[in-house]
Amino acid sequence: MKFEGAPDIAEYVKKEIYPDGLEYVPLRENRVAVRVAPEDLTKVAELFVKKYEARLIHATAVDLEFKGFEVLHIYDFSKKRDRLVVVVKALVEKDNPEIPSIANITWQAAWAEKEMKELLGINPLGTPDPRHQFLPYEWPNPVESGSIPEGNKFETPASATQTKEMYLPLRMPIEEAYQSLIPIGPYHPGVIEGQIVYVKVEGEQVVAADIKTGFHHRGIMKLIEQRGYNKGAFIAERVCGICSAAHGLAYITCTENLYEAEVPDRALYIRTLLVELNRIHSHLLWIGVVADVIGWKTGFMLTWGLRERVMDIIEAITGNRVNYGIWRMGGVSRDVSQELAEKAKRTVDNLKEECAKLLALVAEHPVVKSRLIGVGPLTKAQAFDGGAVGPVARASNWKIDVRADNPPHAIYDPKIVSWEVITDDHCDTYGRTLVRVKELLVSCGIVSQCLEYLAKTTGEIRIKPKSVPAGAEAVGLNEAPRGELAYYIRASDTDANLPHSIRIRTPSYRNNAIIPLMLVGSNLADVPVVMGSTDQCLACTDRVEVINEKDGTRKSLTWDQLINLSRRASRC
Amino acid sequence: MLDPVYTVLSLIIIVPLALFLGVIYSFLIRKLSARFQWRVGPMFRMYSDLKPLLGTTRLLQPLYDILKLYGKETIVPDVSRRRLFVYSPYLSLIFAVTAILFIPFPGMPLLSGVPYSLIIASYLLIASTLFSILGPVASGSPWAAIGARREVELFLVSELGFVLSIFAVAIARQSLVIWDIANGGQSIYLALLTVAAGVLMLVAMLGKLHIKPFDMPEAEAEIVAGPYTEYSGKLLGTYYLTKVFILYGLVALFISLFLPPLATSVLWLPLYLLAALVLVFLLTAVQVLNPRYRIKNAINWYLKVVIPLGILNLIIALAIWLVV
Repeated sequence: MKFEGAPDIAEYVKKEIYPDGLEYVPLRENRVAVRVAPEDLTKVAELFVKKYEARLIHATAVDLEFKGFEVLHIYDFSKKRDRLVVVVKALVEKDNPEIPSIANITWQAAWAEKEMKELLGINPLGTPDPRHQFLPYEWPNPVESGSIPEGNKFETPASATQTKEMYLPLRMPIEEAYQSLIPIGPYHPGVIEGQIVYVKVEGEQVVAADIKTGFHHRGIMKLIEQRGYNKGAFIAERVCGICSAAHGLAYITCTENLYEAEVPDRALYIRTLLVELNRIHSHLLWIGVVADVIGWKTGFMLTWGLRERVMDIIEAITGNRVNYGIWRMGGVSRDVSQELAEKAKRTVDNLKEECAKLLALVAEHPVVKSRLIGVGPLTKAQAFDGGAVGPVARASNWKIDVRADNPPHAIYDPKIVSWEVITDDHCDTYGRTLVRVKELLVSCGIVSQCLEYLAKTTGEIRIKPKSVPAGAEAVGLNEAPRGELAYYIRASDTDANLPHSIRIRTPSYRNNAIIPLMLVGSNLADVPVVMGSTDQCLACTDRVEVINEKDGTRKSLTWDQLINLSRRASRC
Repeated sequence: MLDPVYTVLSLIIIVPLALFLGVIYSFLIRKLSARFQWRVGPMFRMYSDLKPLLGTTRLLQPLYDILKLYGKETIVPDVSRRRLFVYSPYLSLIFAVTAILFIPFPGMPLLSGVPYSLIIASYLLIASTLFSILGPVASGSPWAAIGARREVELFLVSELGFVLSIFAVAIARQSLVIWDIANGGQSIYLALLTVAAGVLMLVAMLGKLHIKPFDMPEAEAEIVAGPYTEYSGKLLGTYYLTKVFILYGLVALFISLFLPPLATSVLWLPLYLLAALVLVFLLTAVQVLNPRYRIKNAINWYLKVVIPLGILNLIIALAIWLVV
């Protein structure tokens, strides 16, 4: 199967969407790059978001060495035209780089702009929230040791007063903040990974909430940039241990869009199979986690018991349980034999029945209902403005699903595989539960259809990829279990094996940003439930420069040193 | 009353015996909930290859967990009210152990024959809970403060059920002495009261023992370890020990008040243990089947269930007193 866009797509964008661009470059699969002047970015955003109701997928920037920084705003137009994605580019100079902020127009750009500022130093002018997101609030004015006095009285250090608004959670005066703030995190039994959600409570009522991330950085994007396209597939899988198949497919979709790719049908079916099995076990995991958070250990144990069986099927198919390692440009590396497909199909059908039984129990349990209904409300308008994706958006009755709107390189054609996008109008955590429960059963259906095809046919599973042209660009999208996952890759101008830069936008990056919105007004007992309801994956979210700072001396670690450190840590 | 020498001897024996039975009950709760949840849980009989390493049985696993804590470092936070923080667990334990002395065991009337023993026992149980709130409040941790507040709210409503239930029985049997109640005869009317008051007592026990829909004081996903966040080592071990004694005490009180004459003669011992097993099974079933309530829902639920049931109990009890 070949993946080609419409030939007239660049003219279409020029004529119908935005006529004032400086340059229109068609990319593969109906993606169009439009170059504009930096000061026009707000105008473009206003036009796209307000008039066409386009959705901002990601805002990021690429370092083009002496040419300057290229700021990219990636918009999704798939509701307007099939698979259309518009990449708006603006070149800014390196000395004193400044762009107008679009966070006032579409709030979902807020985190992305902060990230640009922290990683590359591009200053968004007029941003509504200038505080750091991934770097510590105190950066670059650290609190000197000893500046926090004994007792309960906290004084603001002199260096911090100058940048006070960058320094405070919830922007409360420090005296007030320390009295009534409850920090959920960075390490808290309700949340497995590291982050801080500051909640200000009156009694048990949450009156204000704020989120601070930046506790694990692994430099994944940089690692892929150093290792080339083929090894990148393995690293991309390791962005997240739960939705590794989704990351693999999104990365492969993106790299295949860099050149004229052709993929055999059988490989597409195997990809779909894995991504959907992945979705099943991720959703089972989520239901277990929410059961655990509301204190229902039995539900947790039972759903995770079912999840083990899905993992066993995946192990039988790929040989691995967590990172499958079968993603290749132009196909997959491992075939599914006909006997295995038949056997797996029987298991999946059994599993589907058991899941349906268990999940009906979960969805109808009176105490579970009383804990979930009305918790973490999010209206459709809030979801659109905040940029919710995945089950969170669909539970607010907003029908977005990348598999339907902008499918990745797998089989999601409704003519071939029958499936549907699940939405729900509860607009709360209960709605999110129902969406995931129903989606899980739909995924079981897709899996058995794929296995049916694989059991009947044989064929090639990989076509050798062509070389990547210099300077090519591509956007790869996939629906991860948590929502829309976006990859942007720009090929190197000189080396055919190395990407110049790669940008990853994970679904949790978006859903975490709207957690404070959902928290305000809820009960303290519901805070972990709301935080869990987005199925946050923080390792996906964090992306900070590593600077190891001790006693005022800066020291950055090399790759070998890191390896030695980790070896030493794992030895004892 | 029995021979004073025997009473003194039985008072000495009951403490280790109560500890042993409490540990067995906790073991059963853990084992049964594990089996409900597709897990193995602590082993009755150890796998043969692990026997040299771990012994033949892990029946006393809950006790080992507590003993382990006694070998750990005890940390007292700087911001705590040191004296209250340190003494509360011990006071709580002392009150729980003392309460046990007033509750009869088959063959051992203990102090249950003294006047007003019912009131003394229930006061001692309440005092034990009170000190498990005071210590955490003195620790200066926000989690402990929230946990303790929840505990107080829960304590108020669950105690209401507890008191209504035991006094309904006291009115019907016209006695405030546990030994007299435990020796009382049975009739159809009293059986009716036993069912109604027993359900109320069971409901109150859920709150007092933090069984699942009502374990919000210790909700680890929300408030870390709740009241016990700052406790560690010996002090935490003492709190856990108190819990074991209270579990035993409540089960024993239940049987002696609602299932007379099981708690009187040694001959009833097998039936006594069976009743205890059934009670523990019921508690476990509730624990396993339910997620945790919010504190608000829990209080509403208690008020909805406890007040009508309590009034019904009192009506039945008064009817028995006046008519029968």
